[in-house]
Amino acid sequence: MSEPLVRTRDLTKVFYEESRGEVRAVDGVDLICNGGEILGLLGANGAGKTTTLRMLSTILRPTSGEAWIVGHEVRNAPEQVRENLGFYSASTALYPKITARETLRFFCRVNRYPRGKVEDRVEELIESFGIRDFADSRVEKLSSGMKQKVSIARTVAHDPPVLIFDEPTVALDVLNAIELRRIIERLRDRGKAILFSTHIMSEAEQLCDRIAIIHHGRILAVGTLQELRDTTGHHYLEEIFVHFARTREPSEAQGEAERPGETGP
Amino acid sequence: MRLTVPIRAVFWLEIQSLLRDPRTLLISVVLPIVLIPAILIAGNWVEERETRAAEALTFRLAVEGERADLARSLLNTQAPNSGESLDSRFQLVSVEDPWEALASGRIDVILEGMDAEGWRQGVRDGSIEPGATDPPPELEGAPRMRLHFHSNRTASREGAQALRTRLLDTREARRDSILLAAGLPAPPENILVVEAVNVASPEAMEGALLGRFLTLILLGLMALGGSALATDTLAGEKERGTLNTLLTAAARRQEIISGKLLAIMAVAFGIALVQVLNLWFFLGLGIVDIGGAFAVRVPTEAALLLLVLYLPAVALVSGILLLTSAYARSYKEAQLYLTPVLLGLIIPSLAPLLPGISLQSAIILIPIANLGVAVRDVMMGDVQPGWILGAWIVTALAAAWVTRRSVLALEDENLILGERSVEEHTGGEGLFRRRVVVWILVLWAVKILVNFNLPFTDIRLVSLVSVGLLFTLFPLAAILRFRLPVREALALRMPHPGVWIGVLLGVPAGILTVLGVFQLVDTVIPVPTEMLESLGQALMPEEIPLWHLLIVIALVPGIAEELTFRGVILHGLRRRLTPVALALVVGIIFGMFHFSLFRIPTTAVLGVILTAVTLLTGSIFPAMVWHVLNNALAVLASRDALPGVDSQWFAEGVGWEWSLAGVGLLLVSFAIIWRFRTPYPDVGPPGPPGGAMSRT
Repeated sequence: MSEPLVRTRDLTKVFYEESRGEVRAVDGVDLICNGGEILGLLGANGAGKTTTLRMLSTILRPTSGEAWIVGHEVRNAPEQVRENLGFYSASTALYPKITARETLRFFCRVNRYPRGKVEDRVEELIESFGIRDFADSRVEKLSSGMKQKVSIARTVAHDPPVLIFDEPTVALDVLNAIELRRIIERLRDRGKAILFSTHIMSEAEQLCDRIAIIHHGRILAVGTLQELRDTTGHHYLEEIFVHFARTREPSEAQGEAERPGETGP
Repeated sequence: MRLTVPIRAVFWLEIQSLLRDPRTLLISVVLPIVLIPAILIAGNWVEERETRAAEALTFRLAVEGERADLARSLLNTQAPNSGESLDSRFQLVSVEDPWEALASGRIDVILEGMDAEGWRQGVRDGSIEPGATDPPPELEGAPRMRLHFHSNRTASREGAQALRTRLLDTREARRDSILLAAGLPAPPENILVVEAVNVASPEAMEGALLGRFLTLILLGLMALGGSALATDTLAGEKERGTLNTLLTAAARRQEIISGKLLAIMAVAFGIALVQVLNLWFFLGLGIVDIGGAFAVRVPTEAALLLLVLYLPAVALVSGILLLTSAYARSYKEAQLYLTPVLLGLIIPSLAPLLPGISLQSAIILIPIANLGVAVRDVMMGDVQPGWILGAWIVTALAAAWVTRRSVLALEDENLILGERSVEEHTGGEGLFRRRVVVWILVLWAVKILVNFNLPFTDIRLVSLVSVGLLFTLFPLAAILRFRLPVREALALRMPHPGVWIGVLLGVPAGILTVLGVFQLVDTVIPVPTEMLESLGQALMPEEIPLWHLLIVIALVPGIAEELTFRGVILHGLRRRLTPVALALVVGIIFGMFHFSLFRIPTTAVLGVILTAVTLLTGSIFPAMVWHVLNNALAVLASRDALPGVDSQWFAEGVGWEWSLAGVGLLLVSFAIIWRFRTPYPDVGPPGPPGGAMSRT
């Protein structure tokens, strides 16, 4: 098999907090994600999901370990990594003063999409994400559902092979969340490698091809839902999650507070 | 710099967003367009009104005192110059209690006439406040005219002023008539006629005036204009969450910063241009008059040169605004930082207003200030290409450095996300490395405060406190605060014994080299000999015994200053710079702690030498010994206590051949030290493992 599109090896991030001292937010994470696959990162708030994904998108520097996106290492080739990557989260906002069309054009250009093809690509995105009706309205005037469409369109503007969705449904109503999951499935079917983080069990169950259970910065288990069921003997993902979380000694499970920068209120 | 697609994309995004934001447009463009002429018009109006009012005023005057008769007769004398009678503006009124009337504002001035004897009596029993000025002794017995007025009231103030002028004129006229009456006509050939003839052309004068203010005006306008966009761009984006989006795009950090910087430059420049045109328009219409001196024509070539000159200044101002925004976590925080930053930018642009500042001085090293002076020179028609180029390069380098800092700020997790990474915040080493620059600045400020505020002047006490105590406490404080390992922080290691040969050889060589540097400085900024002698006298007064001087000038500084500079400061900076840069930077920092302008270069050279020795030997001791011996030799030489050494060398230099010999000897000494080197560990920025030093 060829090199996976996303790979991490012993990826670690240590923070310092005044009250708790050193915190290993991500602790030796090994992951693989191939094209045409949705890998779910399932974990509670503060488990290290966002930190892991931010290291993959080069916003944070790993304290140790390595990560590759399409063969480019995050520390040595951050620009190439980002060229091959689209990052979407509740915290990635859009510029309010420009229109939807200008937004897409801007993100094509800033992601070095081939110059002559930008306008065609913008048209294509407007068409396929159903943006046509409000393509020339300023972002600040759009409803949250419209903004979400523009936001996803800008994430894939430069057609990257790897997409990262960091708790994308966290602030969405049910219909928008369903719509988003449909889009993500469609992107998977077009061969993208998709990393999808969530703390909602049902979401992971429905959407993800494989699930990595992350707890206290460590990956406790990775596999398809069926594989996880077989290993643990539990049927529901919730039970499977609890099964793995309990295997860690209770002292470590205590007092894990919200990390600054993690999503959530 | 190539304008890549991402740079242009970011640039246009910023411009577009700004143009679509009515509030920003209103505050940064429309408001100043209306406000600046409004302020000027209002200022003119107030001034005109005041002048008219003052001209229309009549002053109510009461005459008092035992010599009221004399006072009245003085007032009735025809004014000598104008021929105008006094009573046209002064109205003599008689009131029962003039003092109460003055206090309540019913009269404006009291003229009190008194005899010398009465005055003396009054001063003695305390009923009269003696005047601020004593009359010359020959006027000891003359009568006194005292003016009483109320400075809070315009009429009173102006009245007293006018009356005073009038009385002085009258006095002069009387003196002349007395001299004439006494048969002492002054022969005209003994009286000097003084006339001032200005040989500067009107253009040069106008240019000088405008040139002085131009930098201040333009820079102020640009900084104000650019600040609106700057606050919004990085700080505002952090707040809105768009920075997160932008940072996951493929564009390099450098490209993002470049695009934003260009946008701020364009806006700053654009707004300044709009304001200048705006002013020009109002001036042209004659609606506003700020004096003909500003309404000059600048020839096209000079205007182009000015444009080129201001380019790095615009870049620097914009860069500083952007950096401010990068360091702020929110829009509000950015606004908070902006006021001191704007004030800080204004200060260097005041340089051309200082009298006697020439570009051929240390001012060339201060960004913005140097261009301000260059612009003033150009406006006066005095173009010195070499110096102007130098000023341009200095400011351009500063702009590049500031831009680089902004790029680094985008890579700083701490600033982007408010996250703290462990190596920087566990306290200890890492934290000190981050804070060392701030600590140096604080030490510098403390040193200035101590130097200029010490309550005693004895050089022994001054040196013990401002050098001995300060430079011992500093490393101690750093070691305690950051829990630094003492041996490493102070480089307390024994060097190879062979090094000492190099040190002994190096000390006299170093002195000759430094004297050469001093001569070099002297040709650029001539140092007055009196200044040197007074410094020598201040540093090494004759009345202090030699051995005291050896302790306070040689031993104490040699040890304490090394603990600070080659100890903790070098330790703190070692991972930030390559060894060569480190030697230069620590040396220059050392120089900057010697506050007189001509001592900075010479002590900086000594600092570079001492740092280089420490880096090569990995030990503080050779630098300490070198420093002590260096200062001791200087003390001995100044007392003519060294055979064959003339103390005058230190004031007059030793001649080029000696300095060159010194440099040669210094090279030999360093060759010896190099031969026995045991390099300072862990030098150089992290990245390629080890520094250049550890690879050798």
